[in-house]
Amino acid sequence: MNALRVTWLFFKVGVLNELQYRVNFVVQLFQSAIALTVGLVVLALVYSHTDELNGWSQPELVCVLGIQILMGGAIKTYIQPNMTRLIDDVREGKLDYALTKPEDAQVLVSVREVRIWQVVDLVSGSIVLGVGLSEISTGVGALDALAFAGALLLGGVMIYCFWLVIATVSFWVVNMWTVVELFDGVFQTGRWPVGIYPGWLRYSVTFLVPIAFAVTVPAEAVTSRLDWQTLVLAVGFAAVLFTFTRWFWRYGLRNYTGASA
Amino acid sequence: MEHAVRVAELRKTFDVAEREPGLKESVKSLIRRRTREVKAVDAISFDIASGEVVGFLGPNGAGKTTTLKMLSGLLYPTDGEARVLGHIPSKRERDFLRRITLVMGNRNQLQWDLPALDSYELNRAIYRIPREDFAPTRDELIELLDVGDLVRKPVRQLSLGERMKVEIVGSLLHRPQVLFLDAPTIGLDVTMQKRIRSFVADYNQRYGATVLLTSHYMADVEALCQRVIVIHHGSILFDGRLAELARTFTAHKTIEVALADGVRDLSAYGEITQRDGDVVTIRVPKVETARVTARLLAEQEVLDLNVEDPPIEDVIELVFAQERPEQRQE
Repeated sequence: MNALRVTWLFFKVGVLNELQYRVNFVVQLFQSAIALTVGLVVLALVYSHTDELNGWSQPELVCVLGIQILMGGAIKTYIQPNMTRLIDDVREGKLDYALTKPEDAQVLVSVREVRIWQVVDLVSGSIVLGVGLSEISTGVGALDALAFAGALLLGGVMIYCFWLVIATVSFWVVNMWTVVELFDGVFQTGRWPVGIYPGWLRYSVTFLVPIAFAVTVPAEAVTSRLDWQTLVLAVGFAAVLFTFTRWFWRYGLRNYTGASA
Repeated sequence: MEHAVRVAELRKTFDVAEREPGLKESVKSLIRRRTREVKAVDAISFDIASGEVVGFLGPNGAGKTTTLKMLSGLLYPTDGEARVLGHIPSKRERDFLRRITLVMGNRNQLQWDLPALDSYELNRAIYRIPREDFAPTRDELIELLDVGDLVRKPVRQLSLGERMKVEIVGSLLHRPQVLFLDAPTIGLDVTMQKRIRSFVADYNQRYGATVLLTSHYMADVEALCQRVIVIHHGSILFDGRLAELARTFTAHKTIEVALADGVRDLSAYGEITQRDGDVVTIRVPKVETARVTARLLAEQEVLDLNVEDPPIEDVIELVFAQERPEQRQE
């Protein structure tokens, strides 16, 4: 698979690039620490008034927070930098070079960037998840763990699709930056299980912006709440979304005009 | 003869949003966007033989870059047909993309913060160049362009000309058979322009590659291209040998004359365009050239006399100043 080899090479080059800016690591460490502290303080505040929230105990919600940080880290390490670069390249007409390469253009635009310092969030998210899990008395079965891994992967795919659709829209709409900022805000809703939200919002953060699939569903898996129908729905929705995204991307490419020089 | 590029009735139109300046007009355009159809390329046809070096000339906005982008598969033509090495470019087949390259003088494709060598490795993977071919080709190109150790420096530390050279090496690692060069020497100093020019000629000779080149510098075109295609307002105005261009588009010749007895008024012979010491340049209608020359020789004490076509820059300027030929207005 040449695509995998190219992906790996871009990853290596991306890491080389990032290593030149070591100060970013410190900044990232600082940002992550603040975000984590705020998250934990809010959780502690909520549970100082109640023992459970919509059926979720405090340790379980710590797991949700951990998964949200983890997924956020994955998005910011890989998905978001590539997609924002794509939006920039379309606007500045710099996509040309990616399109003259004998490799699948979708693969190329999806793997060119990596923000390795965001790995801090991957690590801290994992730790928070671990701490949450250690306080859950029932423990995690092998099947739950498997479902969790699957759900996390599917969630990642869906978030990627969401981003690529947004980035592809930039073939027609010049300023997509507001949407980018909006995503950061909306992603914060993932700190809580989507079940606590009113219907319209729940559906929005499930099917419009698939945060429920990316955070709540994996959290359900790891806390033995996940039913198989939800997992099937996740597989189906991911497949449909991916197919649509690929079609939409190709359709967008036909409309690429490039900023003429 | 085998053709590397075939273009038939190729068209590309863009819808361009249009509005008057001012707040009121901005609000109006929110509700009803006015668009205008711009014919960037309007039914052009030409063939390029395998191994040929062709210059693509035209003022800014003539449709040169749009044509190059259609030929390299970046843009879908609105109508008409383009074939490069037998492929339809817009299908972007890998076999096709592996055999061409596009170099744009004002764009950069190498990793900015890393030495070019790292970017070359990326290209090796993308183009699936076998390792045993890769290193020799790379080193040969590095030598031909006299790049030396520049490939080990981060690209951001290179000068514009140095960057262009390492850029070109990167674009040719897969030994493309067709080169689309869009203003490859733009902004470079004269020495660097020459260097790149001789390299392109060399590459063309060595590998028999076909080159389609746009440039704003006539020196590039004069040095490299036996044939030029002049495009203006999206249509082809001229397609033929460079020397032919002058003959087709100018109705004048210039006579340079040096007189034994110094400065004299020669305006009776034609339009005086330049006076440089004792040498006077007279512009005369082409048909009159022989008669005026004979008169000069008979009536004046001539030390030296030269009849020439006007410089190619002037010819091009003249061509661009022309309106669209009638037959192309449909």
